[in-house]
Amino acid sequence: MNRTDALIELDQVTKSFGAFQVLKGISLAVKDGEAVCIIGPSGSGKSTILRCINGLIPINSGSIRVGTHEVHKMKTEKEMRPLRHQVSMVFQQYNLFPHRTALQNVMMAPVQVLGHDRREVEARARRLLAKVRLSEKADAYPGQLSGGQQQRVAIARALAMEPQVILFDEVTAALDPETVKEVLTAIRELVDEGLTCILVTHEMKFAREVADRVCFTDHGRIVESGPPAQIFDAPQDPRTREFLGQVL
Amino acid sequence: MFNLDYSWLADPVYQGWLIRGTLTTIELAFASSAIAFVIGLFGALALTLRIAWLDAVIELFVEVFRNTPPLLQMLFFYFTLSTVGLRMTDPATGVSVPLLSAFACALISLSLFGGALCIEAFRSGLDSLPRAVTEAARSLGYSRWQRFRRIEAPIASRICLPALTNIMTNQFKTTSQASVITVPELMYYAGQIYNDTFRTAEVMILVLFIYVSLVSLLSWGMVRIERVLAFPGYGKGA
Repeated sequence: MNRTDALIELDQVTKSFGAFQVLKGISLAVKDGEAVCIIGPSGSGKSTILRCINGLIPINSGSIRVGTHEVHKMKTEKEMRPLRHQVSMVFQQYNLFPHRTALQNVMMAPVQVLGHDRREVEARARRLLAKVRLSEKADAYPGQLSGGQQQRVAIARALAMEPQVILFDEVTAALDPETVKEVLTAIRELVDEGLTCILVTHEMKFAREVADRVCFTDHGRIVESGPPAQIFDAPQDPRTREFLGQVL
Repeated sequence: MFNLDYSWLADPVYQGWLIRGTLTTIELAFASSAIAFVIGLFGALALTLRIAWLDAVIELFVEVFRNTPPLLQMLFFYFTLSTVGLRMTDPATGVSVPLLSAFACALISLSLFGGALCIEAFRSGLDSLPRAVTEAARSLGYSRWQRFRRIEAPIASRICLPALTNIMTNQFKTTSQASVITVPELMYYAGQIYNDTFRTAEVMILVLFIYVSLVSLLSWGMVRIERVLAFPGYGKGA
């Protein structure tokens, strides 16, 4: 891939928490409209990669670029604002604001952070809740929703920022098997619409279906990456083979 | 055994004192609670910034005001603020008077005392916020201040409402100590009345009843507020 046309570019990114080096030189380029799945054992640094891309975690060395934003050079939350407008994130534990209804959760940031017109945002929020099939739950509080419903509200909230990229951090890991499907359906639609997505996931079947590319991480490195068919059917690295042998 | 005589209560002078005293007590309790609430909110916010010297200053403030008797604090403020320097010349009479009245000294002292307790209450509320909520707010581009105002403070203040009710109850009761520095609140007038009438037991029983009524009303009001502000999944929320 030509490096200059990448929307997101990580180059030799390292990150340590105390003495523990989580990322040992991650390089990754994601094109506009691409869906990339990151798979790998727990503790291999998958979630940390996502958090570095939108600046939630500062990196120790290397560089991260998203569009025109040089994330590694940003120091303050204020500088990161335009970046966070462009990059939304959906979390494993949904992370909805418990004191606000589903509709308010979706509307809050566009109104309060981006300063968009309230009425326009409300129309957008209702449209997005309809998209994730939760129109009738608009006035419910997160505490009144099931895990799968909360996660779909979280997806609507991420979309309401009108981002170019969405980062999905093990978004089905905390869900019941029955509700996993409804969330994956919502994500699949976004990928089909051409939204750039980076997904950390343990759903191998889903990764194979939606991803343009799959990256396998282990011990803070991307061991192997390629089209899903190659990674799942003909893994080259023994570690990839071992991992897939355990989970598939 | 009891030979209670409440005939003095028919005297309009005493009635007026009791009413004025009760109103002053309410005023002092609510004003000092409101200021304490603001001190608590900003103190706890400042602690989240993790600036070493600021943490030390707030820590010291909390320790000093939480760990010393409020009566001592009140006397300290009364005698230092009114005698050391802070005096002004009354333009009407030309007499040098303390810049701050006894009421003002009691208000400052009670606000700081309550403020120290409120900082601890809010701090515990903020500490109990799920870290995930903060992370979500950051990922949506909220600035530090917006995050505090729109998300952390609304959730944390609901979590610590029961603690705030305790602090306000305490404020109400502690106002009685302002009588020592001549603030004309309920306890002060009670003293005036029994000095006049020698009906100490009767006056104390009545004052006790007034305090119980006031604080019960306050607790009832706070529980109502808790109900109104509750959201599903937390505290009183269904």
